[in-house]
Amino acid sequence: MTVALSLRGIGVRFNGSRILDSVDMEIARGEWLGIIGPNGAGKTTLLRAVTGSVEFDGSIAIEGSKTSTMKRRDLARSVALVPQHPVLPPGMRVVDYVLLGRTPHVHAVTGPSLHDFDVVATILEALTLSALMDRDVTTLSGGELQRAVIARALAQESPILLLDEPTTALDVGMQQEVLELVDQLRRERSLTVVSALHDLTIAAQFPDRLVMLAQGEVVVEGDGRTVLDPVLIRTHYSANVKILDDGSGGIVVVPLRSRQPTNDSKN
Amino acid sequence: MTGEEIRPSRLEWWWLVGAFAALAGAGLLAILMGAVDLDARSVLFSVVDRLPFVDVDSGLNDRQEAILWELRMPRIALGAIVGAMLAVAGGSYQGSFRNPLADPYLLGAAAGAGLGATIAFAYGEVLPSGPIDTLPLLAFIGGVAGVAATYAIGYSVKAGRTPVTLILAGVAVAAFLTAVQTYLQQRNAETLREVYGWILGRLSTVGWGEVWLVLPYVVVSTIVILLGARRLDVLSVGDDEAVTLGVDPSRVRLVMVLAATLGTAAVVAVSGLIGFVGIIVPHAVRIVFGSSYRVVLPLSVVIGATFLILADLLARTVASPAEIPIGVITAFFGAPFFAIVLRSSRGLGS
Repeated sequence: MTVALSLRGIGVRFNGSRILDSVDMEIARGEWLGIIGPNGAGKTTLLRAVTGSVEFDGSIAIEGSKTSTMKRRDLARSVALVPQHPVLPPGMRVVDYVLLGRTPHVHAVTGPSLHDFDVVATILEALTLSALMDRDVTTLSGGELQRAVIARALAQESPILLLDEPTTALDVGMQQEVLELVDQLRRERSLTVVSALHDLTIAAQFPDRLVMLAQGEVVVEGDGRTVLDPVLIRTHYSANVKILDDGSGGIVVVPLRSRQPTNDSKN
Repeated sequence: MTGEEIRPSRLEWWWLVGAFAALAGAGLLAILMGAVDLDARSVLFSVVDRLPFVDVDSGLNDRQEAILWELRMPRIALGAIVGAMLAVAGGSYQGSFRNPLADPYLLGAAAGAGLGATIAFAYGEVLPSGPIDTLPLLAFIGGVAGVAATYAIGYSVKAGRTPVTLILAGVAVAAFLTAVQTYLQQRNAETLREVYGWILGRLSTVGWGEVWLVLPYVVVSTIVILLGARRLDVLSVGDDEAVTLGVDPSRVRLVMVLAATLGTAAVVAVSGLIGFVGIIVPHAVRIVFGSSYRVVLPLSVVIGATFLILADLLARTVASPAEIPIGVITAFFGAPFFAIVLRSSRGLGS
């Protein structure tokens, strides 16, 4: 196994409160790691530490080189992030938005080359955005927008792709479409994928391996059946769930009401 | 699909040609019109006469020659320089703060320069004099100091610091400096008229001294801002995402704001406070030609120059022989435009 991304003793503090505490992780090249955990567990902060957006203790290494000693541009060529709530510049067209992903490859003064345009054109086509390339990004539907944001991240041509809750704003069909797309791109481009995930069934179905964070610490890691344990979920999410077989070797996580409705009918 | 089939936003050459044609037209109009009308043929001959090794008779008398070369030409040049700088600085501020209503004057530059000018008018005689006149020097120092104070306060905020924090700091600094300025002005009521005239802005100049004084600042600032246009486009997705694209937002903002501020302070020092140019021009460009800063900033330079030449032409002709302060003209057209921008600002930014 070649380690694409390794995190050693990652700690993040913000205004004195602890967001992450001595988190260790190793992600193999080509692997899809899912990070789950309740709200405020530190999932987004962990991804932000990898992109260099927050200061942290410990060390993060990509293919063996520490991110703290990398130049920002080089880091952006190694890791791309699909943010949960992307900022959409009004009036910016999809093609310009995706071209922003070429920033770490483009000279700030001379601008993009034909090669950069080729990369963008290929990605627009792969994500079926060609017909939308002249649209204003603020007018896209949820699914179109998510594809545009993923397209921008892919334009960075980074071997590691981070996705922060990529399906939150999407309906169930669109969720599957986007995640299948991520999986297909991962195979085609041999990407390493790390995604923070809200939906536990999605976490069970798509990633190769899961890590559960709670209060800034790793609680458990392993395959879906190990991590998605009703007792652990009750402890850390305060949720009552049932784990069911999906009939094809996988599992699904179903939330259950912990109390039965009382029968004090008033009519 | 290949790279040749995609059409990213870019500055089309004919837009620039059109903008320069408008600039030339405005310049020509401003040369010919005024209290004394000059005819185009004589002006052309007078220009040709100034070329090396050429000697033609323009037909202008000495007084007309003086009006052309010592009054109108430098005034038009100054108007172009000031307009270009204010417009491109406005665009630079708007991109840096991702705020469609940001303006060179927003971060304390105007209030600081106003205070500096008031000190110069009130105490100019007792201050030591150097190679540069006290008025532009103090206005320049005041403008830069105003922005520096805003930055110092804005960046002393540790948690929850956003571009809005800096703008709020600018409001506080401006309020404070304006209070001091008003106090000094009240204490020295005899300079009220001069201070008032300066605050409303004026391009009335004799000779080329002011043009040469501000030109180096404006050239350097404008080049730095234009080179940063692509970075401002990256900043438009927010600081967090800009970092993941390999850009340091604080550094970009510092360079762009510094360049815009130095350039603005330099032109304010010689022209007084001419408002609204930094908002009207970049927004008009944005509405017509698109929002990429690689388009907005270069066109703002040329159209800003054109706009101020025309505004100044109105300022000196509508009530001729009296002059209306140019700040009144720009505000008269700027304020309604500002209202329209506000109405549609959901579509323009934030």
